[in-house]
Amino acid sequence: MWIELLTKRYPGMRAWLSQRLTGLAMALYSVLAVGRFFYLAPSDYQAWVEFFQPLWWRVLTMLFWLALTLHAWLGIRDVFKDYVPNATLRSVLLKGLVILLWLYLAWAAYLLFA
Amino acid sequence: MKFSIYRFNPDVDKKPYMQDYDVVLEDSDQMLLDALMRIKDLDDSLSLRKSCREGVCGSDSMNINGKNGLACITKLSDLEEPVVLRPMPGLPVIRDLVVDMTQFFENYNSVKPYLVNNDAPPTTERLQSPADRAKLDGLYECILCGACTTSCPSFWWNPDKFVGPAGLMQAYRFMVDSRDQALDERLDNLEEPDRLYRCHNIMNCVEVCPKKLNPNAAIANIKDLKFEQAREHKNKAKKHIEIKAV
Repeated sequence: MWIELLTKRYPGMRAWLSQRLTGLAMALYSVLAVGRFFYLAPSDYQAWVEFFQPLWWRVLTMLFWLALTLHAWLGIRDVFKDYVPNATLRSVLLKGLVILLWLYLAWAAYLLFA
Repeated sequence: MKFSIYRFNPDVDKKPYMQDYDVVLEDSDQMLLDALMRIKDLDDSLSLRKSCREGVCGSDSMNINGKNGLACITKLSDLEEPVVLRPMPGLPVIRDLVVDMTQFFENYNSVKPYLVNNDAPPTTERLQSPADRAKLDGLYECILCGACTTSCPSFWWNPDKFVGPAGLMQAYRFMVDSRDQALDERLDNLEEPDRLYRCHNIMNCVEVCPKKLNPNAAIANIKDLKFEQAREHKNKAKKHIEIKAV
């Protein structure tokens, strides 16, 4: 049923539900990250490298970033729709946002896996 | 009592302005509308809507000290001076405190606020069980004053797209009516991303409703019905596949 609601048949629900599901995913990751931070207590550069060393943690972090990207796209798109009535300017801003979000995503992937 | 009232007559004024009034009230003047009638005695150029003067018709909704409400059921003793009165925000001003509610009613009409039932009409009325009738409580009482919808920023920014709390509550009122047969169509009618989902639950609508209704809960319930609808579709699709397989 959840998958059904994320299909094109429900464009409104798809965006609304995606924002909440990505929010939930980010919240769960944040709890894990804080727990891990207090458990490992990284204090220098080497410790931070080790913090991100396990593959499972890097995959989780990448999933977090994917959720953040989608969440940010949906949220900021709404803000632009509300506060930028000029269609041309809004289109430019939305395109700029897409480029920025892809850049951040690529940068996160590079940092985590390169 | 001191008042500061928004004035704008498009025939003579280039831009709106606030006009101060200081009126002597009688003991019988208990509600804000009573005071406005005193002001109208002094200055009959002031325009406002009013009718039933008891919170039923919804005509005299306005922005009172920054919060939307009905003048006829707002106690003067509850108001801080000077009482600042403005037209409801988010709608074009026709004159002074009178706004053009065309957009509000277009949005309301877009949810088909009437029963859709294709069965032949019975000789008497279409009956409901007491339990089914109870589902309409807290919904049917809306007087369409517009206080909630014009308090909603999502409506201010997208008045032609977002239906608004009043319209959505009436959409839900017919969705849960046991006599209605158009639930799927009603849900599909709200699927366009900006019609329902622009609600971000800031609860301004609940805060201002003069009838103490909860449009926000109705909007949340519509989203629940969406889940039900998806489940039904999945079950129907499953059945269809099973029948085909047989």
